[in-house]
Amino acid sequence: MAEQTADVAAAHGHAHDDDHGHHPTERHYWIIFAILAVLTAVEVAWSYLGLEGVSLWLPLLVMMVAKFILVAGEFMHLRFDTKIINGRVFTWAFAASLLLAVAVYFIVFAAFDTVFA
Amino acid sequence: MTDIADSATDVVDDVASADDHAPADHGHDDHGGHHTSLGLSNMKLAMWLFLGSECLLFGALISTFLLSKARFITELVAGNPRVIESIPAGLAEEFIEAGTVEPIYDIPFTSGSSFILLMSSLTMVLAHKAVSEDDDLQTKIWLGATALLGSTFMAGQVYEFTVFYREGIEYGTSLYGSAFYTLTGFHGAHVTGGILMLLSLLVLAFRGKLKSNRAETVELVGLYWHFVDIVWVLIFTIVYLIP
Repeated sequence: MAEQTADVAAAHGHAHDDDHGHHPTERHYWIIFAILAVLTAVEVAWSYLGLEGVSLWLPLLVMMVAKFILVAGEFMHLRFDTKIINGRVFTWAFAASLLLAVAVYFIVFAAFDTVFA
Repeated sequence: MTDIADSATDVVDDVASADDHAPADHGHDDHGGHHTSLGLSNMKLAMWLFLGSECLLFGALISTFLLSKARFITELVAGNPRVIESIPAGLAEEFIEAGTVEPIYDIPFTSGSSFILLMSSLTMVLAHKAVSEDDDLQTKIWLGATALLGSTFMAGQVYEFTVFYREGIEYGTSLYGSAFYTLTGFHGAHVTGGILMLLSLLVLAFRGKLKSNRAETVELVGLYWHFVDIVWVLIFTIVYLIP
C-alpha cells in the first residue's frame, strides 16, 4: 500500500513533465504530416494496382493503422501521455474504447452471419 | 447560424473563464491545466472518455455500413428485383458488372478531400503550439487555416452527396444509400461541430482572450479535431479504397 502510494506520489511529480515537458518542434509536426501524406498517396496508388483479395486489403489496412497511430501518437500527443503507476491513462482510456469498438464490429458481423458464414 | 456561433463562443468563453476562476488550491500549470491529485486534467480525461464513446458510435456505423453494402451487392448480383429497382437501371448494371459499388466513387476527388482533412490536423496542432507559446498572430493564422480546411472538406462532401443524389442514390430508397449517407453524414456533422468550435476559438483569439493560460481549451478542441480526422482515415480506406 505504502509502495503504491509512493508510486502515485512519484507519478504526480513526473506527470506534468510527461504531459507538458516534451514540446515537439514545428519541424517534427511537418515531418509527421509528410509521412501521412506519403502514406495516403501510397494507399491510393495501391488501390489502382488492380490487386484483389488479401494482397489488396492487407497492405491498405496496415497503412490505415499506421496513419491512425501517427495521428493519435504525435498530433494527439498520446506518445507523451501522463504516466501513472506504469500506465498511460489517456492511452488506455482510448485503447480500451477502441478495442470495444472493434469487438462491436465483429459481434455485428457474427450476429448477422455475414463474414463467418 | 450566427446565433449558434455566438452561443458556441459563449460556451468556450465560459470554459476558458472557468480556468481563470479556479480555486487557488488547485493551482495551474503554465498551460492552463489543473493540478489534480493524480496529476491529470479532469477536462482532458473527460474528453478522452468522450472520444472513447465516439469510437463505439463510429464502430457501429462502420459495421452497419459494411454489412449493408455486402447485403446490397449480394442481393443485386443475385437479381433481387426490389434491390435492382432501388437504384437507376444503368447504375444497377454497372454495379452488377463490377460486383461492387466502386464505380460510383470518385477516388481522386475523395483522395484530395482526405489530404485536406489530414492537412487540417497539422494546422490544428500548430495552432495549439502557437497558443502555448503566446504567439497571437500564429494562433489566429493556424486556427483560421484549420477552420478553412475543414470547411473545404465539408464543401467536398456536399458536392459528393449532390453527385450521388443526381446519380440516383437516395437516402430512403436503397440499403446502400441509407448506410453510406448515415456513416459519412455523421462524420460530416462532427466536422461541422468542430468548425463551429474552431470559429469560437478564433473569435476569442481576435478578442485577445486566447492566451497560453487557456492552451488546454485549444488542446481539447484539437483532440476532438484529430479524432474526426482519424475517423476519416478509417472511412477513406474501408469505405472508398477496399471494394
